[in-house]
Parts: sequence; structure tokens; C-alpha cells
Amino acid sequence: MTPNKILGASMNAVVINKVTKVFNPDKPNQVDALLDVDLTIAPGEFVSLIGPSGCGKSTLLRLIASLIGPTAGDVLVNGKSAAQARLDQDYGMAFQQAGLFDWRSVVKNIELPLELKGWDKAKRRARAHEMLALVKLPEFAGHMPWQLSGGMQQRVAIARALASHPPLLLMDEPFGALDEMTREHMQAELLQICAASNTTVVFVTHSIPEAAYLSDRVVVMSPRPGQITEIVDVDLGSDRDEGTREADAFYDSITAIREALRGIEHAEIRGGVDDR
Amino acid sequence: MNPRRAIDVAVPPAVFGVLFVLTWEAIVQGFDLKPYFLPAPSAIWNAFVDNFDLVRSAAFASGANALVGLLAGTLLGISVSFLLMRFNILNELVSPLAIALNAVPIIVLVAVFQNMFASTSEIPRRLMVMLIVFFIVLVNVAKGLRQVHATHLELMRSYAASPLAVLTKTRIPNALPYLFTALKIAAPTAVITAFVSEYFGGRQNGLGYFIPSNFANSKNAVAWAYVIGACLLGLTFYLISVVLESIIKQRRGAAPGGETT
Ligand SMILES: Nc1ncnc2c1ncn2[C@@H]1O[C@H](COP(=O)(O)OP(=O)(O)OP(=O)(O)O)[C@@H](O)[C@H]1O
Ligand SMILES: [Mg+2]
Repeated sequence: MTPNKILGASMNAVVINKVTKVFNPDKPNQVDALLDVDLTIAPGEFVSLIGPSGCGKSTLLRLIASLIGPTAGDVLVNGKSAAQARLDQDYGMAFQQAGLFDWRSVVKNIELPLELKGWDKAKRRARAHEMLALVKLPEFAGHMPWQLSGGMQQRVAIARALASHPPLLLMDEPFGALDEMTREHMQAELLQICAASNTTVVFVTHSIPEAAYLSDRVVVMSPRPGQITEIVDVDLGSDRDEGTREADAFYDSITAIREALRGIEHAEIRGGVDDR
Repeated sequence: MNPRRAIDVAVPPAVFGVLFVLTWEAIVQGFDLKPYFLPAPSAIWNAFVDNFDLVRSAAFASGANALVGLLAGTLLGISVSFLLMRFNILNELVSPLAIALNAVPIIVLVAVFQNMFASTSEIPRRLMVMLIVFFIVLVNVAKGLRQVHATHLELMRSYAASPLAVLTKTRIPNALPYLFTALKIAAPTAVITAFVSEYFGGRQNGLGYFIPSNFANSKNAVAWAYVIGACLLGLTFYLISVVLESIIKQRRGAAPGGETT
């Protein structure tokens, strides 16, 4: 094993170090989206971000993706700067809207990131079909996106995000637009896929049960300015199935997350009173 | 469209058309209207058959002006929308342009062009058609290049895509249906512009010249024959636009709309 690999094994997937993000600084519409956020995520870990609307979850995810840069502090992904990790396509990303390209067939949508990486056609076509099988849509390769249901489109988006086998998956409310049944189904599939490929996931959600079911750790955030108020460990083991949703430990986790979120609410109400 | 539905759609207007022509004929015959007031459809049809070659060559002259202007305007519109995008001035420029396009009768410019070229030149009309098509194409294509899904742009950024890749794999495919929409609007507009331009003088060879000149000479039935020619030419260009639209619909489930100015 090369020294590099040894380093790689012990390296953290994501390190967020005293990150502050201010939008429109020194302008009337200035927003302190994040203040002094610290978070370290180990390889293979599934971490959810939860918190009231506007607390900076998407902003934090975008910082990890290097879609935007921090105002202060730094973000490391795979031991390199977030910007470098983006150039190396070290992560895949999925949003609430599947964001498939209407003019590309399903298989060509999945091929897009590989195409941009310069893979040759045969190789990327083979990988795309492999990914379609993984998300259980092998017979839809030639379909156009609009011919698929919302849940199927979201699966294609996940296949696309995972196509280059990135070590890190960033997801912003990917199941937010799905009905409850499809949603639970997709959650189970996502866990299987990520466990099989040992992918690290950072997952933004508004759903407490979703966060509990999926995560190893749930990061609870508060707004104005966006900060991490609590990190809830979820001890449901690594083999989670439909039975997990009935388990006492599952309900305990939900309660723990809910209480952490309540704390924010109370603080906000108190803050409101103090301001007067 | 299945055949059954095609029949359902085609029958009412066809019946209406036949009834309309029959009523027209009956009124002209029944009230014994003079041909200089309103010729009977039968007389118009005879004039159309008798003058077919003349009508056809006039239709070709107008059609050529419309087609050349349509192609030139489309190419220019596409090129300029790319240039504007390159220099990031799409947003500032295009909306006012779209408003101006609707508010100002730029057709009067044909008189200005007429003055710039020899009276035997076809260039003024073609310039006029080109200008009008140019604006339609510019406004729509610019919109297509600009109104790219924010998620698509973020994805492309996450793929570390080069600006060129963003252009060829996101903006241009996004703008394509807008281009087709523009052509769909521009094709019939090009014909109308060509006719109207011919009313303003210049070379005397198109439908837009022969219709008023025959009326002026009291050859009303012949003038109406040219009107038939104008209708057929307009329909031809309209068919082009319908074909273009069906291409859009085949490529996308529901075609996103462009500006219908
Ligand atoms: N590009 C931007 N420019 C200015 N302000 C921004 C920008 N992006 C986000 N913000 C602000 O930063 C704050 C955090 O936004 P963010 O989108 O991260 O919230 P969120 O936690 O994802 O909310 P939600 O749950 O509603 O998605 C909000 O107040 C938002 O208005
Ligand atoms: Mg968000």
C-alpha cells in the first residue's frame, strides 16, 4: 500500500472548519447565512442536516460542493480544498427537483457527468446501464425524462449523481417532492446503494423520520445566523429495513431529534421576547 | 393526431368554407352586384385559372423575398443573441426590445430602404423581412439561452464543466425549442411583411404590387386572383411553421413556450 492510500484510509470525507457565510456583505440585504460552523464527517458516514427553513442547510451543502465559497473558514473534501474536489468531480449531487435535461434520454442524462470527465462512449454507456440497473430502471434507458414519474426521475437523478462512483454524495431534499410511499421506498434503496458502495452522504431534509431512518448522525441547525445547535447520534445499526421503522430505537431517535428542534423554537421565541 | 380526430377537426371549417363561398356567389348573383364592387367566386376562379402563370410568378417573387428575409433574419437573430449572451447584456437589452417590437410599426422603414437602393432592387423588401424576422428570433433565442434551469447550471458547475460545455450542453439545447417557436411565428410574418413591403413601391413583380394595381385598373376579378395567390403562399409558409411545431412536439413531451410576439 502506498503512503497515499494509508493517508486516504484515515482521511475525513468532509471537514468544515469555522465556516462563516455572509450573503451581500455590507449591503442593506446582508444575510448572515452561517456563523462559525464546524463539522467533520467520516468516510462512509450518512449525515443529515435538519432545521427550520432558512437556517442555511442548502448553503452548507453548496459550500461543501464548492458551488459557492465561504466568507471565512475553509472546507476540505477528501483531504483537498472543496474547489479542487469539485474540479476532480469527487462528489455527486442531487436536488429536490430531479433536474434531468429534457432533451437527453434517460441513459444520456446519466452519461452526462462521465461525458464531461472525458470517458469514451462505450465505457460511459456501460456504466450508465449499470447505474440504471442499480436504481431498478433498466428498461427505461431509451425513455425521455418527461415519460417518467417524479419518483422515477428522482431515481435517474440519483443514478446520475453516483455514475462516476464518487466517494461523496450531496443531496438537498431529494425526496421532498415525492409521496410518502415512494419516499420510504427510495430511502431504503438509497441506504442499500450507499452501503454497497461505501459512499459518504450529506443529506438535507425537513422530515424528522427520514433523518432518523437514514442517518448515522443528524445535525440540527438554527437560523439567524445559521449554526449547529446539536448533533444527534442515531443508533439503529447498519442493517436497516422496513422493520426499523417500527423499532423502539427509531422512535427514540425521532424524539431526540424533535427535542433538539424544539430547543431551537424555544430559543427563537425567547429571542423574540428579549428583543422587545 | 389520429385520423378520426383529424376528420373531426377538418370538417367544420371545410363545411364553413364551402357555405361561405356558396353564399357569396348567391349574394353576388341574387343582388346582381357589379364586378367592380364584388366579383363572384366563379369569376375570381376563372381569372385565377386564366392568369395562373402570372399569379404563380408573382407568388414566387414575393415568396423569394419572404424566404430570403426569413433565412437571413434567422441567421442574424441567432448570431446576435449569442453575441449579446457572450457580453452579458441579454437581460438589459432584450426585454425593452421585445416591448419596442410590439409597440413600433417598423414596417414603415421599408420606405427608408426603398430610398437607399435602386427602384429595381429586391433588397429593400428583403431587408425589411429580415429585420422583422431578426427581432422575433433574437427575442426568443435570447430568452432560451438565458432562461436555463438554475438546477442545470448548478449541476454543470458541480461537474466542473467548461463555459463552452455549458453553452453546448445546456444553453443551446435549451434555446432550440425557443428557436422553433420563433420560426413558427416568423414564417407567416415574413410573407405578410413581403406583401406589405411591395405596397410601398419599388420593383413591380410581387403579389403585393399586383393586387392594388389590378384594383386600380378596375380588373377586380384579376386582383382577387392574386389574393388567392397570396392566400396560398401564406398557407405554404404557415405549413412550414406547423411542421416546425410538430418537430418541437416530437422532441419534447410538452414544448416550453417562447415569446409569442
Ligand atoms: N444566493 C443567495 N443570496 C442571498 N441570500 C441567500 C442566498 N442563498 C441563500 N440565502 C439566504 O441564506 C439563508 C439560508 O438559506 P438556505 O437556502 O441555506 O436555507 P435552507 O436551510 O436550505 O432553507 P430551506 O429549508 O427553506 O431550503 C436564507 O436566509 C436565504 O435567504
Ligand atoms: Mg434549502
